[in-house]
Amino acid sequence: MAAVQEVHDDHRPHGWVRWVYSTNHKDIGTLYLIFAICAGCIGAFLSIMMRAELMEPGIQIFPGLASMVYGVHGDAALDAGKSMYNMFTSVHALIMIFFMIMPAMIGGFGNWMVPIMIGAPDMAFPRMNNISFWLLVPAFLLLLLSMFMPSAAGAWGPGGGWTLYPPLSTSGQPGPAMDLAILSIHLAGASSILGAINFITTIFNMRAPGMTLHKMPLFPWAVLVTAFLLLLSLPVLAGAITMLLTDRNFGTSFFAPDNGGDPILFQHLFWFFGHPEVYILILPGFGMISQIVSTFSKKPVFGYLGMVYAMVAIGAVGFVVWAHHMYTTGISLDTQRYFVFATMVIAVPTGVKVFSWIATMWGGSIEFRTPMLWAIGFIFLFTVGGVTGVQLANAGLDRSMQDTYYVVAHFHYVLSLGAVFAIFAGWYYWFPKMTGYMYNSFIARLHFWITFIGVNIIFFPMHFLGLAGMPRRYIDYPDAFAGWNRIESYGSYLAGFGVLVFLFGVFEAFAKKRVAGANPWGPGATTLEWQLPSPPPFHQWEQLPRIR
Amino acid sequence: MAGNLDRRAGKGTRLNMAVAGVCAAVCVGMVGLSYAAVPLYRVFCQVTGYGGTTQRAAEGASRVLDRELTVRFDANAPKIPWSFEPAQSETKARIGETREIHYVAQNLSDHVVRGRASFNVTPEFAGAYFYKIQCFCFNDTTLKPGEKIDMPVVFYVDPAIVDAEEARGLQAVTLSYTMFQPPGDKLADAGTKPLEAADEITGDTSITRRD
Amino acid sequence: MIRNILALVGGASAGFAVTSAMAAPRDWEWTFQPAATDMMRQITWFQDYTLWFIVPITILVMVLLGYCMFRFSAKRNPVPSQTTHNTLIEVIWTVLPVVVLIAIAIPSFQLLTAQYNPKDAPKLTVKATGNQWNWDYEYETGDKDKLSFNSSILADADRAKLGKENRDEYPRLLTVNHEMVVPVNAMVRVLVTGADVIHSFAMPPFGIKVDAVPGRMNETWFKAEKEGIFYGQCSELCGKDHAFMPIAIRVVSQQQYDNWYKTAKNDLDGANKALMAEVDHNKTKVAAAN
Repeated sequence: MAAVQEVHDDHRPHGWVRWVYSTNHKDIGTLYLIFAICAGCIGAFLSIMMRAELMEPGIQIFPGLASMVYGVHGDAALDAGKSMYNMFTSVHALIMIFFMIMPAMIGGFGNWMVPIMIGAPDMAFPRMNNISFWLLVPAFLLLLLSMFMPSAAGAWGPGGGWTLYPPLSTSGQPGPAMDLAILSIHLAGASSILGAINFITTIFNMRAPGMTLHKMPLFPWAVLVTAFLLLLSLPVLAGAITMLLTDRNFGTSFFAPDNGGDPILFQHLFWFFGHPEVYILILPGFGMISQIVSTFSKKPVFGYLGMVYAMVAIGAVGFVVWAHHMYTTGISLDTQRYFVFATMVIAVPTGVKVFSWIATMWGGSIEFRTPMLWAIGFIFLFTVGGVTGVQLANAGLDRSMQDTYYVVAHFHYVLSLGAVFAIFAGWYYWFPKMTGYMYNSFIARLHFWITFIGVNIIFFPMHFLGLAGMPRRYIDYPDAFAGWNRIESYGSYLAGFGVLVFLFGVFEAFAKKRVAGANPWGPGATTLEWQLPSPPPFHQWEQLPRIR
Repeated sequence: MAGNLDRRAGKGTRLNMAVAGVCAAVCVGMVGLSYAAVPLYRVFCQVTGYGGTTQRAAEGASRVLDRELTVRFDANAPKIPWSFEPAQSETKARIGETREIHYVAQNLSDHVVRGRASFNVTPEFAGAYFYKIQCFCFNDTTLKPGEKIDMPVVFYVDPAIVDAEEARGLQAVTLSYTMFQPPGDKLADAGTKPLEAADEITGDTSITRRD
Repeated sequence: MIRNILALVGGASAGFAVTSAMAAPRDWEWTFQPAATDMMRQITWFQDYTLWFIVPITILVMVLLGYCMFRFSAKRNPVPSQTTHNTLIEVIWTVLPVVVLIAIAIPSFQLLTAQYNPKDAPKLTVKATGNQWNWDYEYETGDKDKLSFNSSILADADRAKLGKENRDEYPRLLTVNHEMVVPVNAMVRVLVTGADVIHSFAMPPFGIKVDAVPGRMNETWFKAEKEGIFYGQCSELCGKDHAFMPIAIRVVSQQQYDNWYKTAKNDLDGANKALMAEVDHNKTKVAAAN
């Protein structure tokens, strides 16, 4: 085996050619992960700046920042600073969604592990895989560039929220910043659609003999469902933002109320994409958590079929609940009743997943290695975010919570604490496999505890602020909200420190080069990737694996 | 390297292309659907009264009930140099009865201004039962400098509304218009001096049809 | 427990209302602001009600996780079971959430229906138009010369001029130059629209929030039960000064309102001053009587 390995290694391209022209799913996966870490650091920086601003009532940081970046002074700096804060909220969201979570989960872990776990030599379309990644880079650069372009008078950068509601994103911000942001989303969307097609084809056609769909591990299943959601929802976003673009530049009036258009239509189209999108962000995490819980409990996943079809159900129902984001826009009582009902239905398959993870642990022989800590943290925090979601589903109650920090708390519990915890769980689970090195367990655990405490300090008090009525996307708030805001900011600095610990842990692992071995996790790790050496050969499954 | 890969993937290539082709078709179809949503949404609103969209009718209701309903009238003109008001703030109409009311508009500028109205009724569900037989909002309205006109609306409320579950707490229906200046016209205004612009377009006061 | 705390907060606020007649968020507030309408009381009740489900569910998950971590750690349980199915338990954890959801859905639908079925006919209609970045209020009373005015955030320089120097009653970021004034215990219909971009008209103590969408009219209503001044803030991102277009509603007695309305058409500032003087006078009287 080792001899065969070396022969093939000689065919491996070297230097920059290996990465730029890479068609190898593992190399592309690595590129995605590096990209996601870089984008995540920028996104985290934006959020820490916002928290620094919100630490005290009044406006402290952003006018200075605006003056530094855009060279304006005095009142102009104050105005530019206010707009800059709106831009930071918008770009933070866009980066974290399109350039951190999606690339990490689908592009990174998906690319790395799906072919290996289904016993395929590579993705179905390796060159398209390369294009997918290299579309994402200019997309990200466009978004970063847009931050420095004029938008409204005396303002820079796309500041209409990640939801891009017109007319604020059309007549409200005539400058080129919004156009660049829209183009950026277009490219990122195209990248994801190509990726989705690749995953669907790979998973349908390239499974090893004997690997039926019902024997496939849950992570590839999660990626498959996610790919379908991408394929069905992203084109709608693409259509909607193309309409925004033509409304802005070519005189159409799809959403312009002064010319027979309807701004609410954009919200319908956006959330038809936007709601499946949040499941796109969390489903691969579901898959990873299932693998990790099973591995460290040394038990097969409890209720495998239930888990699979819960994901399929969540994905399917996710397409018919979109207007629960729009309860206050003026939709009729009957419409609201329907969306309340449909939204509550999603709680059932989600509950099945949470209880099945616990049942997988039940009776197991649990080892609390680092990935398992993150996975348990995920299950708990996701539950907290899930139950507040059930509250928000109720239109009558949502009326008092819509656009307050309660919503911010909810979606950060499922995304920042849910999806991101899943990403770190996956990172520590597969890091030895991907690199061949074992990380320092102490640093990794330190990273977990700092992050766990930090993010809870940030986001739990947001529930209180939301109930007390603090609206989101506010650069300044009434003095009564100062107490919780100050605490949250401290939490943010702590979590930010956690990112540094994470980066140091990565550096330390590469510096120390502790050899991990093919399977560092013991008998619970039964999926195919653990049958390969660490790191896996450049081309795996020269002999197709046998599926029991 | 590539050769090796291709050989291994070779068997599945045609099948791969088939799956990818179907996916691409689905993707294109979804983009198409998002565009189709624009007219579909409009039709959906018109048919179901969704979002408080009013209905159009050629003639009045077949029956008239004794029960009366207050219909209120509201006008907005945020970005057009017009005054635009309902002539009466509300009226009590028997359900099913055809009524004519008026809005009054006056061009306060020194040039010709075209107005285009968007409209809806609240509560939203009432849109399905609110029928307009004649309305200035069916067409654009063009006013000469200083010109003032009466704009009629002929409507009735469908008697079926009394059977609607949502109508139990109904106190009144508010019909609201927002008058806009089409953005293209605004550009034209900005491009020429107001008075000259008025001279140029004065001849064209014809009413432009729109859906 | 939460109810008790809520009752405490509510009691405290009742005493508070007499002395300062103001309802804005308070330091370290961690629940809904005290309700000033029956609707908000219903919303608060429903929020508490949902907590009775979601808090125990979260605790249940936490306890189960904790038990698994303790009982089934590799040390205590070296040999893992290989159970992967138990039809009964799977049915239970599918059906039980359904039951919980139904228990939540029934009052939820009642609440939602109540929000769209006011009990009385409106006595007053006010139209709120959101602008970047202030509000226009128009009193649709049917009078030929309508009362309408603009309501913007109060600049610190204008505090003295308008007699709003008490920062407890007129907090930073919430105080406006001209409040919307409405009579107490009267159904008020609020029509909401936007002039430029989408805004959102929100008044937390009243339990209302409705988007101000350009080109369309939305409607909501409230019936304030307490006199005093109430604060809300724009609740849909609308650009640079999104955080600086507060909403303030002053609820007064019918007679005070009538007097104010008569004067306000010609002299808004004068009417507001007279109203504030009268309110303050009554407050001192009440305080003295206590």
